[in-house]
Amino acid sequence: MINKDKLDRILNKVEKPARYIGMEQNSIIKDLNNIKVKFAFSFPDVYEVGMSHLGLHILYNLINAEKDFVCERVFSPWIDMEEEMRKENLPLFTLENKEEVRNFDFLGFTLQYEMSYTNILNILDLSGIPFYSKDRSDEDPFVIAGGPCAYNPEPIADFVDFFVIGEGEEITLEILRRYKEHKEGKWDRQAFLKDIAKLQGIYVPSFYKIDYNVDGTIRDMVPIVKEAPNKIKKCMIGDLDSMFAPEKMIVPYIETIHDRVVLELFRGCTRGCRFCQAGMIYRPIREKSADRLRELANKLIENTGYENVSLSSLSSCDYSQLQLLVSSLMEEFEEKKVGVSLPSLRLDSFSIDILKEIEKVRKTGLTFAPEAGSQRLRDVINKGVTEEDLITAVSYAFKEGWSRIKLYFMIGLPTETDEDVLGIKDLSYKVKGLFFNRPKEEIKGNFKVTASASCFVPKPFTPFQWVGQDSIDEFKRKAYLVKDSIKDNRVVFNYHDPELSYTEAIFARGDRRLSKAIVKAWEKGCKYDGWSEHFKFDLWMETFQEENIDGDFYALRVRELDEVLPWDFIDPGISKKYLIKEYKKSIAAQITDDCRLGCLGCGIKDCSMRGVFN
Amino acid sequence: MKLRVKFNKRNYLKYISHLDLMRLFQRSLNMAKIPVEYSKGFNPQPKLSIASPLSLGIASEEEYMDLELIEKIDLENFKEDMNNILPKDVQIISCIYPENNISIASMISWGLYEVIFEIESLKNKSEINTSLNRWINQDTIIISRFRKKGRKKILKDEDIKSLIKELNIIDLDKKQVKLQAILKVGENGNLRPLDFVEAFYRDNDLTIIKDSIRIKRIGLFVEEGDTLHRPF
Repeated sequence: MINKDKLDRILNKVEKPARYIGMEQNSIIKDLNNIKVKFAFSFPDVYEVGMSHLGLHILYNLINAEKDFVCERVFSPWIDMEEEMRKENLPLFTLENKEEVRNFDFLGFTLQYEMSYTNILNILDLSGIPFYSKDRSDEDPFVIAGGPCAYNPEPIADFVDFFVIGEGEEITLEILRRYKEHKEGKWDRQAFLKDIAKLQGIYVPSFYKIDYNVDGTIRDMVPIVKEAPNKIKKCMIGDLDSMFAPEKMIVPYIETIHDRVVLELFRGCTRGCRFCQAGMIYRPIREKSADRLRELANKLIENTGYENVSLSSLSSCDYSQLQLLVSSLMEEFEEKKVGVSLPSLRLDSFSIDILKEIEKVRKTGLTFAPEAGSQRLRDVINKGVTEEDLITAVSYAFKEGWSRIKLYFMIGLPTETDEDVLGIKDLSYKVKGLFFNRPKEEIKGNFKVTASASCFVPKPFTPFQWVGQDSIDEFKRKAYLVKDSIKDNRVVFNYHDPELSYTEAIFARGDRRLSKAIVKAWEKGCKYDGWSEHFKFDLWMETFQEENIDGDFYALRVRELDEVLPWDFIDPGISKKYLIKEYKKSIAAQITDDCRLGCLGCGIKDCSMRGVFN
Repeated sequence: MKLRVKFNKRNYLKYISHLDLMRLFQRSLNMAKIPVEYSKGFNPQPKLSIASPLSLGIASEEEYMDLELIEKIDLENFKEDMNNILPKDVQIISCIYPENNISIASMISWGLYEVIFEIESLKNKSEINTSLNRWINQDTIIISRFRKKGRKKILKDEDIKSLIKELNIIDLDKKQVKLQAILKVGENGNLRPLDFVEAFYRDNDLTIIKDSIRIKRIGLFVEEGDTLHRPF
């Protein structure tokens, strides 16, 4: 346990000290002396962000349900806290028992975005754990990682003892069980790693050797121990109804990003948007039954006292029994003053019916994501919404009294022309027109439409994994093209930092040679890179130059279809053949239907929903 | 139906803010299924008010809140149900149905605080007492406080002497000093313990180690004639 006097002294000086105290309702504090395997779960960002992550709540309750195991939380201390901790020589600790992180058996990171990699190093440093897995001994925890960014684990492969690829629920318990067995027998670190390397979804980077071509691309990646498979197949939960689902959630004292019950409706997505990594890697679609969801919702509301339930998934309006679920939840919760919200609304008439239902209790802000300004470009990315959908949805919203609309777009999409980019302006102006071209007596409220554009980052395991990103200058030119074309202060346009997206693109499709740059950038003071106010682009560029790394090689280069990609050794279920087919269709602006309407042969074996929808 | 509740806020839970505490009670009342009255309107809130909110970082042995209930409930059950749900460092001590409808916030006018700190050089109790008396017996004790003036916040000098009722040393253990102070709280004049400590730290010669200052509220009091008594 850390020195609590020191902690108390520090907590008096930092902003939001409740980030570091733990003790929330539904948190679990076990006596560590009676525990066989200690797991520290880390979301490498600040408490409020990490606590909003559903995966944390699932794994936390799953592991703690086992008598011999414990899961405690650790987040990235905010800048002020880190400063005080370093001054006082206070090592990083878990929130539950205030135990040093380095005394745990495992330190598990969830990788939600690439720009958190320096925070991972910062957490290791504050914990006194060596950065490189080759430098760790039996005194150190195993550093493991999972989550969406683990689908290209290579940029941080040198820091992580092993990765869990795919859905971690079942496999995590299996890892901890095997660890316990090994510890009870004759302990050998390498023997343990070799044992778990045989499990589906486990990737031990140190068991592989990579050779490069003269042009810098990868020649091959070969296992150097017999236990390591050539291909790592992702883990997946078969039946969501019978899987572990927590009936309690830790309730933070301070306000977090999502201060509500989060109900997971389904995993996977059938829409096939070509830019979306989640839509590809989480296939196949698997739903929870409405009965199970109702049961969970009731228990969670009862056990947390929250007054809002958010129906979460990649595309909640696609839930096959949504109407039934929403109306039964509304009926049950109206008395308890519990609201229901749908975070991801689609622009179709069905969604609007649902919206009508929900808004009986509480009105939420309205955000739509057409993603691209022109129909041609929406077809390229296979975002199956039309301008008509948008018009219908927005007209309804205005009629119901909304006057502020947010629209989300991307710039720098494949095949994009200036005409497509200016479509962002056109669409925003059309929304404005819809508001004002109504009878005077119907126009109420202060109209504002905010169009936000993010800079497209091509991601592994999408049909766009081969494309080059737009350059920073090109992003800026396009952003200004839109900005300068808007001459109405009720139409607001803003765009995300292109420098940040460029750096993100380097790591999204990077390889093992980037690890030394992450260390160097951290040494120069880079952390919280995902927070634009802390992102230091000049330090990153300086680092790449010093380490002889060409950022353009990773971010801007168009890959040949036969190039060996750094993540090719992972099998996410969907086939490369399918991705190539989708890539080619996208260039021709051909759309692909929702696969609920007919199987498209994406490569997922035994897709459980094939029978249900086809 | 007004329910008056006495509770504490200890240890690490002193690091949650007043708003955090309100939310904690709101959710805990939901969990315990207490029939709390809600405000009307677009964003209904439970009718719950905590008297003289604590600053972040200050623990308390006795806090008070008024709750508006839809119907009368059993007090023992209420306390037990809530304490099972509330964290161990925020617990209900007792509760009553008050005789009149006066709000707890308007009744309370003094707070008793314990201030603990370390000093750099050893001193005996009488030296410290002398120092305290010299400070408290000045004609005026001026501090600068931010005050709202219209929309702006401006720094204003104020004399806080009349807001301090008592200041005593109650314990000395080597270099650790424990004081007690009775300070004005509530709607008719309020002295934040942090402002008090800041002024004391500024003016005295005790070589206080600033990092070591800890403040705890021991109780809140109603003034009646010359005497102070607890609300219940």
